Amino acid sequence: MLTLRRSIAGVLLLGLVPTGASAADPAAAGRIKVVSGAVFVVRGDVAARAALGQVVFEADTLRTGPDGRVGITLNDDTRVSLGPGSEARLDQFVYAPADGRVGLVLNIVRGLVAYVSGRIAKLSPDAVKLETPNAIVGVRGTTLALRVTE
Amino acid sequence: MNRGRYSVVLAGCAAVIFSACGQPRVRTPERPGDTMVALLPDPDSGVVGKAVVSNASGAADLDTARASTRVSGNRPPGDVTTLGEAEAKTLFGDLLSALPPPPHHFTLYFQFESDALTAESEALVPEVLQAVKDFPFADVVVIGHTDTTGAAAANVELGLRRANVVQKLLLDAGLDGSMVEVTSHGETDLLVPTADDTFEPRNRRVEISVR
Repeated sequence: MLTLRRSIAGVLLLGLVPTGASAADPAAAGRIKVVSGAVFVVRGDVAARAALGQVVFEADTLRTGPDGRVGITLNDDTRVSLGPGSEARLDQFVYAPADGRVGLVLNIVRGLVAYVSGRIAKLSPDAVKLETPNAIVGVRGTTLALRVTE
Repeated sequence: MNRGRYSVVLAGCAAVIFSACGQPRVRTPERPGDTMVALLPDPDSGVVGKAVVSNASGAADLDTARASTRVSGNRPPGDVTTLGEAEAKTLFGDLLSALPPPPHHFTLYFQFESDALTAESEALVPEVLQAVKDFPFADVVVIGHTDTTGAAAANVELGLRRANVVQKLLLDAGLDGSMVEVTSHGETDLLVPTADDTFEPRNRRVEISVR
């Protein structure tokens, strides 16, 4: 048996961690469960108004207006919310434990973000990173709130 | 490189002198990209986890309720302070209220060497259907798990067979198939940690996550 941790280490050593998505075939990462005020999903160069129930993908950016709030649940049960005037990008979301591949990188550009850990943080705590312009937060569970000055 | 190290040391001395003199803490004006991180009790369970805030200059551990640190520019994370309950609520209460409801989990077990669920597990099916109604745009994920007996690849398949049995039960009970996803984690996500090739009935299960 390959333990999850060992197989992840093996993959890292080979330097071959796939992101689970290419531009042509993005991986569904979660779903928007809470929306109020102005909320946008930015995919590539296109910013579109976010809808309740909408699927979000790896590499998507969530952006809120001055009155906006949004809450998403990712496929590993991780939950994230953004307050007003905020922006965060899902740089990595890989949840394939049977293949020994898990990873979550959330890049917080500005504003207010709350994070409640899910299965990825349980299976492989080192695989979760919350990045801001001047810091990296490693998570051993469970709930964090971040504020990044614009 | 050396100069950079000296200035960090000097900044550290200045901070020590300030606090030693009992001066009121002077907060530098915030700059773009400045970060504040707070570790909060889990909104549902109250459990307090752990986090490490770091950059190239240093690191700070957060491991108590409402522990908080600030990172300004490329300086190391500031001293860890504890936010008051009221302060945390003012800063983050509104933000936390935008979190989706916590996922609801069910664990189902099979009769020994069988594709049939135990009676207790089968009785959970109506509860699953009720939970689905409580979630906005619910997703239902059915995950098969095995113990570590046998080969890892075969266990992924075995887990999937068990998950398919549960999916059929849910669909027969009237659940909309478009919201159900079936997957298997094989032996990679043990409920009870064991060595390889260990018979452990509690690890032979199907989890349903409703979220």
